[in-house]
Amino acid sequence: MKLSAVKPVSRVLVRELAVTALLLAGVSVVVFAILYLAPGDPLRALGVSEAQGVPRTWHGQYAAWFARVLQGDFGASFRTGLPVLPELARVGANTLYLTLGALALTLAIAVPIAVHAAAHGDTAGNTAATIAAYIVSAVPVFWFGYIVVYVFIHQFGMFPLISGTATRQQHAWLYSLVPILVLGTASGTLSEMVRHLREELSRVLAEDYIRTARAKGAPVWRHAFKEGFLIPATEIMSAKIPFLLGGAVIVEQVFNWPGMGRMAWQAAQDRDFPVIMGVALVAAAFVRLGNLAQRVVFTAVNPRASKE
Amino acid sequence: MRRYVQAENVYALPLLQRANPLDLVYVGYGLAIVALVFVSYLIGTLGWLPHDPRAMNVALINAAPFTPGHLLGTDFLGRDLQSRLILGIQAYFLPGLLAIAISLVGGSVLGILAGYRGGGWEILVSYFSNLLDSFPRLVLILLVIAAFKPDIYYVMVVVGITGMPVIANLVAGKIAFLRQKSFIEAAHALGLPAHTVILKHILWLNCRAPLVIQATLGMAEAILIETSLSYLGFGVQEPTPSWGNMVQAGSNYFLQGNFWPSTAPALAILATILGFQLLGDGLNNLLEGKRRA
Repeated sequence: MKLSAVKPVSRVLVRELAVTALLLAGVSVVVFAILYLAPGDPLRALGVSEAQGVPRTWHGQYAAWFARVLQGDFGASFRTGLPVLPELARVGANTLYLTLGALALTLAIAVPIAVHAAAHGDTAGNTAATIAAYIVSAVPVFWFGYIVVYVFIHQFGMFPLISGTATRQQHAWLYSLVPILVLGTASGTLSEMVRHLREELSRVLAEDYIRTARAKGAPVWRHAFKEGFLIPATEIMSAKIPFLLGGAVIVEQVFNWPGMGRMAWQAAQDRDFPVIMGVALVAAAFVRLGNLAQRVVFTAVNPRASKE
Repeated sequence: MRRYVQAENVYALPLLQRANPLDLVYVGYGLAIVALVFVSYLIGTLGWLPHDPRAMNVALINAAPFTPGHLLGTDFLGRDLQSRLILGIQAYFLPGLLAIAISLVGGSVLGILAGYRGGGWEILVSYFSNLLDSFPRLVLILLVIAAFKPDIYYVMVVVGITGMPVIANLVAGKIAFLRQKSFIEAAHALGLPAHTVILKHILWLNCRAPLVIQATLGMAEAILIETSLSYLGFGVQEPTPSWGNMVQAGSNYFLQGNFWPSTAPALAILATILGFQLLGDGLNNLLEGKRRA
């Protein structure tokens, strides 16, 4: 990072933190509104009721509910009786591992295709790779999961697949790569990633300053890297985090992966409000943090943006 | 942050001549799929199915495709897969259209507020968009399911609302582009009333292509959500078929080597989502000129 970029980044960081806080407050209002409007008075079950001296008005209930959420008191699961937040922290790590691994894999597949396509244009190979990315993205992730399970059981004899206990077995981390493989390829993000990276990179490669760099024999990639690769890559990564978290719900279900998505599924089955509320809040916080990171990278690379 | 790529609208050649052949293939495949889905939906609505989709036939379990009388074979209970696939379209067709309608109307209103009125509206709309984008869609849907009930129309209202930011951004971006070309100023100088400028000159003349494109992409999204939910058990329940619950029900037999009952609906999902996506992207390249030579 250049020294000139330091000051704008800190200024933007403060501004973006404020925006993030404001958005998270909005997230809490949306979640509260759903709970408030739901039949069966879930707020009472969450411990926000007149018995605790909370006024009947919606803003009074929101204030009481939000104060508890801010203190990290999400209530206890109806199903297990355990407090929600520690449980979320426990399984959230598994989900984070799954989604970040999947994101890395998607990038590892998308970047070579996109860079090659941007550099060489519409060759037969690039067209084939782009179409393949489309097809892979449209594969239903739950069915692809069964195929992978079948192949791994029957062809390689790798069993048991993932479960909570498998992580303590020898070479267990190898098994955990299977759900990552499934989520990383078939979550529907691959083709969009290829398209975005390719469009942005070929736009930058057509700019005048790249032509100048090329003419004087300077390394083109170094000049195109920030604008043509780093910014679009962080943009698409942060934009795809919600999709990956949504895809994780299904992949965790297929592979019995002890994560937040499976917890959310179970909670929706049982109408377990404290848990599903906690998952929604934590997932939204993940998304906002990813977005914050993207904004910081964007400003660090492009200090002019801080003056917008 | 979304950015708007808007090519110069200097097209000398007729559409089909300047088109990239690949885009024509995309659009052709997409149109074929849309037609197939629509015709199948009508057939399912009218009840002209080759077999009763709920009738079991124990004598003919797990029949392969092209078995006489059962073009796509039968499932693990001997039910005709072709009939079940056709009837499965009912699960997402109308709900998907509802989601698209909500996205288009709500998104256009927000986009016009942000782009045409500007100022505080712009800030408000971008805040609202960022807020909706903060939730993983499936998690928000599960929250709504837990709070209310697992009803596909509730779900599709959520899908429609969460689809609004994309449309709003697109309409606002179009308006910014038209403003830059002094288009809107000129319309006002002609003395046209605001609603004529908005409805005719902005939405109809300049936004209809991208809106149609977004509608097809939105349908792909809605199908993905519906099939995922009925796979997860929150959608249409057996014995009524939906592509998602067919994959789920067939999966018990998948690991025993009977691939077809869950593979047939999975391929239907694959082909359909691919069709709507390629149609959207192909039209985008053709009409909006996003592809560079």
